[in-house]
Amino acid sequence: MQVKEISVALAGNPNCGKSSLFNVLTGSHQRVGNFSGVTIEKHEGYADYGSYRIRFVDLPGTYSLTPYSPEEIVTRNFLLEDKPDVVVNVVEAPNLERNLLLTTQLMEMHVDFLVALNMFDELEEKGITVDGKQLQKLLGCHIVPTSAKRKTGIDALLAHIVRVYEKDIEIQKNKLSFRPETEEAVAAIAGMLAWEKSLEGADTRWLAIKLLENDREVYHQVQQYPVWVKVELALQDAIRDAARLFDSDPEILITEDRHAFIRGAMQECVRITESRRSTVTDYIDMVVLNRVLGLPIFLFVVWAIFQLTFTLGSPLMDLLEALFAAFAGVVEPLLPSPMFRSIVIDGLIAGVGGVLVFLPNIVLLFIGLSFLEASGYMARAAFVIDKVMHRFGLHGKSFIPMITGFGCSIPAIMATRTLKSPTDRLATILVIPFMSCGAKLPVYVLLAGAFFPPEVAANVMFAIYLLGVAVALLTARLLKSTVLRSESEPFVMELPPYRWPTLHSVLFQAKLKAMMYVKKAGTLILAAVIVIWAASNFPRSADIDRRTAEETGRIAKSLMTAAERDAALRAVSFRAQSEQLQYSLAGRVGKVIEPVIRPIGFDWRIGIALVTGLAAKEVVVSTMGTIYALADTEESSAELAGILKNDPSFSRATALSLMVFVLLYIPCVASMGVMKKEIGQWKPVLFYSIYVLFLAWTLSFITYRGALLML
Amino acid sequence: MNCRKARQESGSMKMSELQVGDKAEVTAVKAGQAVRRRILDMGLITGTRFKVLRVAPLGDPMEIFFKGMYLSLRKNEAEGISVRKTGEAGDGIAMSGDKQGRCCCGGAR
Repeated sequence: MQVKEISVALAGNPNCGKSSLFNVLTGSHQRVGNFSGVTIEKHEGYADYGSYRIRFVDLPGTYSLTPYSPEEIVTRNFLLEDKPDVVVNVVEAPNLERNLLLTTQLMEMHVDFLVALNMFDELEEKGITVDGKQLQKLLGCHIVPTSAKRKTGIDALLAHIVRVYEKDIEIQKNKLSFRPETEEAVAAIAGMLAWEKSLEGADTRWLAIKLLENDREVYHQVQQYPVWVKVELALQDAIRDAARLFDSDPEILITEDRHAFIRGAMQECVRITESRRSTVTDYIDMVVLNRVLGLPIFLFVVWAIFQLTFTLGSPLMDLLEALFAAFAGVVEPLLPSPMFRSIVIDGLIAGVGGVLVFLPNIVLLFIGLSFLEASGYMARAAFVIDKVMHRFGLHGKSFIPMITGFGCSIPAIMATRTLKSPTDRLATILVIPFMSCGAKLPVYVLLAGAFFPPEVAANVMFAIYLLGVAVALLTARLLKSTVLRSESEPFVMELPPYRWPTLHSVLFQAKLKAMMYVKKAGTLILAAVIVIWAASNFPRSADIDRRTAEETGRIAKSLMTAAERDAALRAVSFRAQSEQLQYSLAGRVGKVIEPVIRPIGFDWRIGIALVTGLAAKEVVVSTMGTIYALADTEESSAELAGILKNDPSFSRATALSLMVFVLLYIPCVASMGVMKKEIGQWKPVLFYSIYVLFLAWTLSFITYRGALLML
Repeated sequence: MNCRKARQESGSMKMSELQVGDKAEVTAVKAGQAVRRRILDMGLITGTRFKVLRVAPLGDPMEIFFKGMYLSLRKNEAEGISVRKTGEAGDGIAMSGDKQGRCCCGGAR
């Protein structure tokens, strides 16, 4: 038997239960990717029905098909270009009125669609009756009552999809007509467009309506053709008429006519017998958005997410680290040559391990975030904090990713996907690294601990964190008023009714993010870590190797106690490491940049640490340990602190300057990789690197010179 | 009841000038292109009745309720929407006053 494939797109408003319907329809046959060119997730799946395989694409939730947001553009382009066989318009039965706008826009497009009247089961308890037959006639399409929650109407929906596909339709298509003046303008413009050869086969009525609606995309499309000269005049006429006759403009008139049609349909087909009762959402919001309690609850939620991610995550992270260390321990003796051993242990295992240890944090963070998102609180959080964020040109939703940045920039950057506007999102991504992450803490602990008495050290560290926040907010402000200036992004956002998220969807989202991280970022980050490893190890000096071997031999033969000998051997080996590091490419870069970093109080040794610190910020400490030739390179070791304190080239001013520099300069390669991945291009990332270097240098200079004068 | 008062106050005002609990009707949407598009798409068109539910703890944005939707918008955006006041908190005036006796008063009272 021949299996026929039907491609189906699910379209509908946000929160209409579209995704739950998708899950019920496709079961476990799901796949997630991105829509081409954007980071909007594309969920695909299929269901087998009789001799048909029905392939579903769950389009992003949109209120309308005018290109206002990336979601709407994606949805519209998908319907126009990918031309699915059948479009299923999922509408929320209890809120039919506002869901029907999208339906009226589908009516205009030449697509075969049907309506799934979802959450049908809720109608009765809300005292609403819908005359389905009449509504079918008005909308000109099949209507199938469904409930994703109770899993009812699913078979009927599949059956109707097949019927629409096979053109077994008993309902005549209906056309929504606008007021006569608009219809005249539409007809006139459509007539002109019909003469244009290049537009042959295009839906001229639809194009005309879109032009009157001031639709940017269609404007750009039609502007290329000679017919535009005439069309433009007709459009101007229409605008003048609308102003003269209705004191309005065509765009508003068209939308009003759509809503008038919807209102008419509602009056004909929908009866509401009970008055609206306060819902759970009303009661929860009375508390959660309360003028007094709103802010503390918000802060508590942010705190809880942070705790979940980093406090609960850190033992798991330690466990993974231990596992990798154990693995390295097992592998080490199996590898013959020291060079090969170094590649595997310090390069591969350290590189992959360094990336994978963040996985528990990422999974936990996304469990938390998708819970907030799916439950409906995320929009409330944005509502509560928007005023503060708006002052700096950001969106209320930028707050949670930014706070997450205090733990680690990688999940934070990934969390910006909840932001819809591309400029808001880019601005947020670019300021996240200023939120001082966990890996920078060892640097502060070392330096503040070494140069300041304990009671002051904590304040110094706190000041560094505050500086990071200030730089982040001011940078956002700067970005949004210069390169990222766009027509101020409107904040017009639905606060969806609260819903208890399903375990499946929460875990699914977390799994998705985890996979994305491991697969995409993992490759790039791994490559970068290996490059930095190579730069810190090559070229190697044979001289140093030979000298070390000689000395080791001499010590082995000498008449020392076993303990003395071990200490001497360790000292020799660390001196060798330090010398090799200086000889390596990273070491040379450190020395080359010395003149540049001299004014901010750094010598070549710090220069090397800053270069290797690009792999990960905690590496700054371990490199300094190696380079100051210590027997112990434990992070934040008291010994290193002691050495630095006694080093004449290292002062309080140097320490402060270095803390500022580490806070602000180029983020670690892992963050840069994720940044590139989420932005989609290198250019902003490169400009950003130059900007942060300049900023870090300037602020360190001010700090260093200021500290020299004052301390 | 407050009928007389409501009529007195029926002059046009901006949505951003409404108080929490006020009920009003949209008379015109005059915001900039992108904002207007958004507002129209949400179904907030001339003639739509809504209720001001609350203002965020920090004083901005505000939240309104209409046609079963809880919508938040910045006062900046609300400035572009002209409204006419139709009632106040707890006055029992229906938000959607059509013939079928629908009453969609948003929020708990």
